[in-house]
Amino acid sequence: MSDSEQQETETAVSQPQWPENGGQWSDEEGGAGMDECGLAEMAEEDEEIDIYNNETFGLDMDTGVGDTEGDPTSPLFQFEEKPPAPPALPSLSPSSPSFSPRARPQLRVQGPPCRRGRGQRGGQAMAQMFEDPAVVRTVEGRPSLQSLDSAIVDVGSVSYWDDLDPDAWMLSSYERTRHGSGSVLQDPAIVCVMDSHAPGRGPNYLDSHYPFSNSSGRRGGLRRSYSNRPFGQRCPSPINTMLPTSPIVSRRPFTTQQHYNQAGGFLSPSPLPCPSTPQPLTPKMMQLRFGANSPRPSPFYSPSSNRVQRFRFPGPVTQLHPQHRRLLSQRQPRSQRKPDSWDPYCNLMSAKEKEWIIRLQMIQLQSENPHLDDYYYQEYYRRMEAKLAEEELGMRGKREPPKLTTPYVTKMESYTPVVHIEGSLGQVAVSTCFSPRRAINAVAAHCPHEELKDIRQQRLDVLKKIEKLFMVLLEVEEGQRMKAQVLGEGEEKGLMEKTEIKVEYIYSQLQHPDLEAGEEFLPCLLVSKGKQLLARLLPFLSHDAALKVLSMVTSHLPVLMSRDSDESLPVLYPSLRIVIGGMTFSQLIGVLKDFTASLPDSSDSSMCLSLVCQSKFGLSLLYALLSQGERLLSSDVPLEPSIGDFETWTDTVFLVASQLSQSALVEPLLLPSNLLTLFCRYLDKRTVHQLKSNMESATGYLALPS
Amino acid sequence: MNYMPGTASLIDDIDKKHLVLLRDGRTLIGFLRSIDQFANLVFHQTVERIHVGKKFGDIPRGIFIVRGENVVLLGEIDIDKLCDHILQQVSIEEILEEQRLQQQAKQKTEKAKVTALKDRGLSIPKADNLDEY
Repeated sequence: MSDSEQQETETAVSQPQWPENGGQWSDEEGGAGMDECGLAEMAEEDEEIDIYNNETFGLDMDTGVGDTEGDPTSPLFQFEEKPPAPPALPSLSPSSPSFSPRARPQLRVQGPPCRRGRGQRGGQAMAQMFEDPAVVRTVEGRPSLQSLDSAIVDVGSVSYWDDLDPDAWMLSSYERTRHGSGSVLQDPAIVCVMDSHAPGRGPNYLDSHYPFSNSSGRRGGLRRSYSNRPFGQRCPSPINTMLPTSPIVSRRPFTTQQHYNQAGGFLSPSPLPCPSTPQPLTPKMMQLRFGANSPRPSPFYSPSSNRVQRFRFPGPVTQLHPQHRRLLSQRQPRSQRKPDSWDPYCNLMSAKEKEWIIRLQMIQLQSENPHLDDYYYQEYYRRMEAKLAEEELGMRGKREPPKLTTPYVTKMESYTPVVHIEGSLGQVAVSTCFSPRRAINAVAAHCPHEELKDIRQQRLDVLKKIEKLFMVLLEVEEGQRMKAQVLGEGEEKGLMEKTEIKVEYIYSQLQHPDLEAGEEFLPCLLVSKGKQLLARLLPFLSHDAALKVLSMVTSHLPVLMSRDSDESLPVLYPSLRIVIGGMTFSQLIGVLKDFTASLPDSSDSSMCLSLVCQSKFGLSLLYALLSQGERLLSSDVPLEPSIGDFETWTDTVFLVASQLSQSALVEPLLLPSNLLTLFCRYLDKRTVHQLKSNMESATGYLALPS
Repeated sequence: MNYMPGTASLIDDIDKKHLVLLRDGRTLIGFLRSIDQFANLVFHQTVERIHVGKKFGDIPRGIFIVRGENVVLLGEIDIDKLCDHILQQVSIEEILEEQRLQQQAKQKTEKAKVTALKDRGLSIPKADNLDEY
């Protein structure tokens, strides 16, 4: 068997990648040893790195690699029983029958990548299981630490070094960590970063495995130390051990290069399907690679490091908005790389390293409060989701693109210049002592008497107050959002209480102390920002408080409507609609009375109703109220009306109907569907028809036919 | 492919030819081989390109490692589009000579300016000394 294998080996050694004079370096194996190439080990190594990554980052790693080699652990386990007497170099030697129990061939160089893999020493049966051509070599070895934690570099056969001095190991390990020879990725600083970052959220592999790494590590360390020694000498003292490094640290270039480090194999590009990165792989490094679990750079051989970067979700380490996740998964199959021309130096950075960086960056993006820290991202995806959901639901309807409505603002006050220069347009450009500019009233002088304050001052006061209340409102809303997350029982209660207090505070502050009852909210309501504030506050208010607001709004509707220069009243509509939806019949009637009341000041006793018809907000409010009434009446809920309610209701309906049918209507914000039903019940067909056409002409909708 | 759409990442730029402008004003062109989380860059087959007027010269530099904080901007170069119609490549010696002359001229004008200002009692601090402030 071995002979044939040898032949097979030799024939396979067609590519002069690896130095042919392998016999020179390794006593144990002749040329045969060469094809103990790292490939299969590397494949397995990559596999184990994958496993590690999987465990750390929870990735759904590419299974492609693993499939070809089968289960990495089972063959390993199998070979574990090998007697260590001839030090079973799990990686390389098995195939070589002439393996002598000599020094671990750190000097041994990996043979050329070739098809091999059968006939491990004693493991032939197992190896032959892997008939897959992609399996270059199956390797024996026990699932050392490295197989479990690919962060541990240079692990060899575990059993081999058991007899060595454990203390020496400990010492050497420190020593080892001190020099950061090698690639920048091995830099302890980086390792620290990795330690702090990567395993930060998961189990800390590196630390926990450190104490156990002795046997595994020594092999690598010894190997390394051997590089400085003459061949064949076996130094029992462990000098170095493994350096726990990041999973991506797969190479350890040595500073001293041996003479056999020739361009032959390592430095020339591999004709493998995967482009290799020969440069970082010095033969010294390859020495280390004969362990079953030696690390190796994945791009060298691994099918996983193909040109097409396989995308993997970063895993639970990162917080991606679900919509984002979906997007990425959709993109996956579509992403393709145009085939680039051959670049011998490409893929210096392995896929693992790239992923590492990406993960690192993503870790930095994590936060406790994503809605606060990354508002725009969250908002973007929330809107995208909402849009998609809408499309899915197939909601049709008159969907106009949102229009930009520039508010119509009249120039309120004219600037009264202190110095007026003839022919100039306004203020002086530079303020000098002889021609000063009017200073901006940055700090409001406190005026003790309300009446003495001029209009501007009052408005400023109100605005300032509203701003402060807005801050509190934002806190309330934040609390609301946090409540949606799972909180502990005590936490939730505390949060509720705090929210309550804040809401109370805002509510009380909104009311102007000096004005009489029924007018408290007016100053705030006259300011558009105050309207927004109230609209956002309403969901948090108790029903009574909300009703109070509503009644106040309706009672002062004419004033509000007339002074709503920038059309900001509609912002109140949604919240008020919800309030209306919870009203009882009597409350409704009370509110409706306001609509039918006549204006106190007008001479021609025009009614509020006529004004309402001209106002979007007013009309919508009216519709909402009527709709609620209709809903209550047609439902089976007992109404508990007070005396005179029904009459008032009927009167109101008639009044409204007549008004609506006469005047031109504006388009309401929302046209309830049960309005016409209501009107049909009380009115004759002709009126109803007229009403219907009037309403429809305003909206363009078809009111629901009765 | 960008792992995080909407974000910027150098991962997609790897193995592509780039032009990087450093804070000290140097322009490097090379293949971006490796990056890290600080945007430290490893350039391969780097060339330092000096521009003076419409002429430029390339100094081959080999492998460059640039510390991330010194990068002003970085952009990919389209290999297929070699457009040097306007710019004229000259030898290294020539371009260095041109650069030296340019620096000389600049220094002269700067000196003249400073003298003129000094005569009028003004002194403008030089921005390059201020660094971050």
